Amino acid sequence: MRGKDVRLEDVVMRFGSFTAVQQTNLTINAGEFFSILGPSGCGKTTILRMVSGFIDPSEGRVLIGEEQMNGLGPAKRPTALIFQNLALFPLMSNWENVAFGLEARGVDKAKRRDRAYELMALVGLQGHEEKTPNELSGGQKQRVAIARALAVEPAVLLLDEPLSALDLKLRQYMRAELKEIQRKTGVTFIFITHDQGEALTMSDRIAVMKAGVVEQVDTVDNLYAHPRTPFVATFVGENNVLEGKISDLQDGYAVVETQQGAIRGINQDKATVGDKAMVFVRPERTKLLNGAALDNTFEVDFERRDLEGAFVNLFFKTDTGSIIVHEANLGQHKELEGRAKIGFNASDAIVMRSGELSDE
Amino acid sequence: MNSLIRSYGKGLTGIFITLTAFWLLLLIILPQAFMLDQSLWSIDKDDQLGMKIDRAYSDLGLLEYDAQQATGDTKPAVQAKIEALKVEIATLESQETDPPREYGLQNYSRMSSLHFSIFVKSIFYALAVTVLAFVVCYPVAFTIAKLATPQRAALLMLGLIIPYAINELLRVYAWLMILDYQGVINSFLAWMGVVSFADKTWVPFLEYPGSVFVALIYAYVLFMIFPIYNTVDTLDKNQLEAAQDLGGSVFLTHWRVVIPHAKPGIAVGCIMTFMLSVGSYSVPQIMTRGKSGDWFSQLIYRQFFETQNWNVGAAYAFSLVLVCLIFILIMMKVFKVGIRDISK
Repeated sequence: MRGKDVRLEDVVMRFGSFTAVQQTNLTINAGEFFSILGPSGCGKTTILRMVSGFIDPSEGRVLIGEEQMNGLGPAKRPTALIFQNLALFPLMSNWENVAFGLEARGVDKAKRRDRAYELMALVGLQGHEEKTPNELSGGQKQRVAIARALAVEPAVLLLDEPLSALDLKLRQYMRAELKEIQRKTGVTFIFITHDQGEALTMSDRIAVMKAGVVEQVDTVDNLYAHPRTPFVATFVGENNVLEGKISDLQDGYAVVETQQGAIRGINQDKATVGDKAMVFVRPERTKLLNGAALDNTFEVDFERRDLEGAFVNLFFKTDTGSIIVHEANLGQHKELEGRAKIGFNASDAIVMRSGELSDE
Repeated sequence: MNSLIRSYGKGLTGIFITLTAFWLLLLIILPQAFMLDQSLWSIDKDDQLGMKIDRAYSDLGLLEYDAQQATGDTKPAVQAKIEALKVEIATLESQETDPPREYGLQNYSRMSSLHFSIFVKSIFYALAVTVLAFVVCYPVAFTIAKLATPQRAALLMLGLIIPYAINELLRVYAWLMILDYQGVINSFLAWMGVVSFADKTWVPFLEYPGSVFVALIYAYVLFMIFPIYNTVDTLDKNQLEAAQDLGGSVFLTHWRVVIPHAKPGIAVGCIMTFMLSVGSYSVPQIMTRGKSGDWFSQLIYRQFFETQNWNVGAAYAFSLVLVCLIFILIMMKVFKVGIRDISK
């Protein structure tokens, strides 16, 4: 099996008067684990269906391995789709499920049985071949679905939130499993999810979507460290947000007049003086002041302390919202009360022109 | 039972059980039992019985005259003869008013070879109707359940139901008018110049069993479509897409995914269509008008209302019930569905 690259060129998808996907250009490299991340209704599933061939774009081209796919149905494309509810065939045994694609290709029964057994071994399901899907656990069903998709030797495997039905422990386990299968097979994975944790742990690169627009395509690290838009900044991971107007520019940095005073951060958008702007800083880079010298400091009201096992989240109230400080749990801050002074360095803060935030 | 009492109380539970028992007894067990009983006996009527009684009465008159004439010692002997004759008359009369029933399978075994061949033919016809109805109805049911948009599905459904607002006889007569010698189709053919009414070269559709098939399928189409529609409707659309995505052809997808899922519905549809068509009287009666062979249901009608032989009629009717039962069992076996799946 060898993965192929997928390219969307100026793709637009309209349903009647509703535009599900605005003009989009996207390149997914061969053999990559690529996630499309966004809230429900953002158009990510529409993109998946355009790649798999269930729908054709209203405009633009879909290419897989340099071959134009427009007009080809799902059966003719080198893709396989894993459905959100898996869509296993409940009345067939597991191996017959896995072998369905081979049956469709006219492979004789003995051969497709052997191949199905092989694939079930690959996903760690020896001994479950003759059972039916309903006799398996959620995680095992998942693997049958993966084996069934891999049986047709796709160049691109499309996954439509397949982990969303599993409980947390199993989900974490399956993440590693999926990543491992992707590495073993070299197939291009396109993974659709609304769970940013899932996307971050598994993907090589992620496209973040909002309302039919791809907001940012980047590697996992870049996406987290350098979000390009206010939406991405708040959708991927947590971010503290301070709003105001830019009052000054200093080589690469901007000063924003906020309710908490003048705050300095990296001027990412090359905004100019007078622009409405937002300052984003990660909770783990926001610090309680205890002697350390930080570029931006201000006073806030302590609200509460949430213990999250290895970490502790401290919540503070400002006039406009709340600020979170995220620290490793070393048993500190048990007696925090009243006003507190917090701060962060300018190099840890990003200034962007004001825009829509994620409401999640 | 206990859980029923717990959820509905004794009063309501009592009503439920009484009604169910009433229904079972009066509408299912009693008529069938009556029919079965009727089919299992016959009367060996003595054709001479009336004459024998008449003769006995005239003998009696003579003997009574003898008795008046008789004197002394001959009188008791004549009296004894009279008594014996009276007993004989009473027996003969009781035979006439309440003839003795002879129990046995004679009503079944006495089916003539002609009637038996009609019996077998009717079963084959009903099977053919069932298969044809399935072939016609499955695509329709699938289309309504899975392919059509909700609005169009509703319209299609309405289109299927509307003809059922009309009496069944009228619907059959409609087909009669379409297929008749000078009916709609033949008129069209005549207009095209293919046939000529003057030379009577019309196509005699009504003389073919196919015309009965058409009318039967039309009459019972809903009984096939609805059960199939109901089961196909519950099929997850993703399964169809998954099959399509894996390269499954239309045939393979239906053969491996849709039909196995729809089995209970198909079984129910086939059972209903088969039973209704094998037992249909009006459709073959109207469509053939005696121009092509009888169906078995027509034979049964004749046994009851023309030959006035209810016992043979009951035996014929019960044979049909048995065939239906066997058909149900075969369908359950073939489709590997239980009574529970069917009753869903």
